[in-house]
Amino acid sequence: MNITLKYFSWIRVKLKKSHDLIEFNQTISFKELKNNLISKDAIYQEIFEDKSVKFFLNLKEIDDENQILNNGDILAFLPPVTGG
Amino acid sequence: MIKITNESFDLETELKNVSSDTNGAYSFFLGTVRSDLSSSNKKIKGIYLECYEELALVQLKKIRGKALNNWKLNQCLIIHRIGKLDLGEKIVLVITASSHRADAIEACEFVIDNLKIDVAFWKFHLFDNDEKEIVLQKNFDNEKMLKWKDIIN
Repeated sequence: MNITLKYFSWIRVKLKKSHDLIEFNQTISFKELKNNLISKDAIYQEIFEDKSVKFFLNLKEIDDENQILNNGDILAFLPPVTGG
Repeated sequence: MIKITNESFDLETELKNVSSDTNGAYSFFLGTVRSDLSSSNKKIKGIYLECYEELALVQLKKIRGKALNNWKLNQCLIIHRIGKLDLGEKIVLVITASSHRADAIEACEFVIDNLKIDVAFWKFHLFDNDEKEIVLQKNFDNEKMLKWKDIIN
């Protein structure tokens, strides 16, 4: 199962990349993905602890950490926006 | 009409795009890159605008839809630039058109206030040495949204 992660603004700068493609052997929840990423790199701890960061799965904001991720999903990490 | 583009735009052309004999009033918001000092007190030479385009288009359509539903508008146009912009360049254009001025003016303000806090664009200040600095969201922009809370929810 493949999930694409997209990073923006300070998250992209801090991670030094705009996206990741990660593979899992089985279906996982957003919460499990979060814990997996934090265990790999401490930067993710900072990202997930920042309450101003929003997470969008396939262009819809995640409001339940137990939401299941599926093959081909795109998960975006969005800091507060500053357009206009 | 909604457009996200790395090209500049012409005001007169865009006005023609929403012109109609049924319109008696147009309201414009044009945002430009201003000469400013960064949070570290350095003079900026321009900005860089990052965007999650697929999401920004969905969010802009939603805001435009709310404007059309809540005010008597004939047209609502939103254009937002992305990429590298120099001082003085146009960033964003909102045009609302209606039969009477009150609807056009208020809807235009609603669209730009929403865009500033709810659409996937991020600004960076640019400096002479190619250094970039992330621009942070302003409390003022969030506080201003309280005016529209009945329409958003």
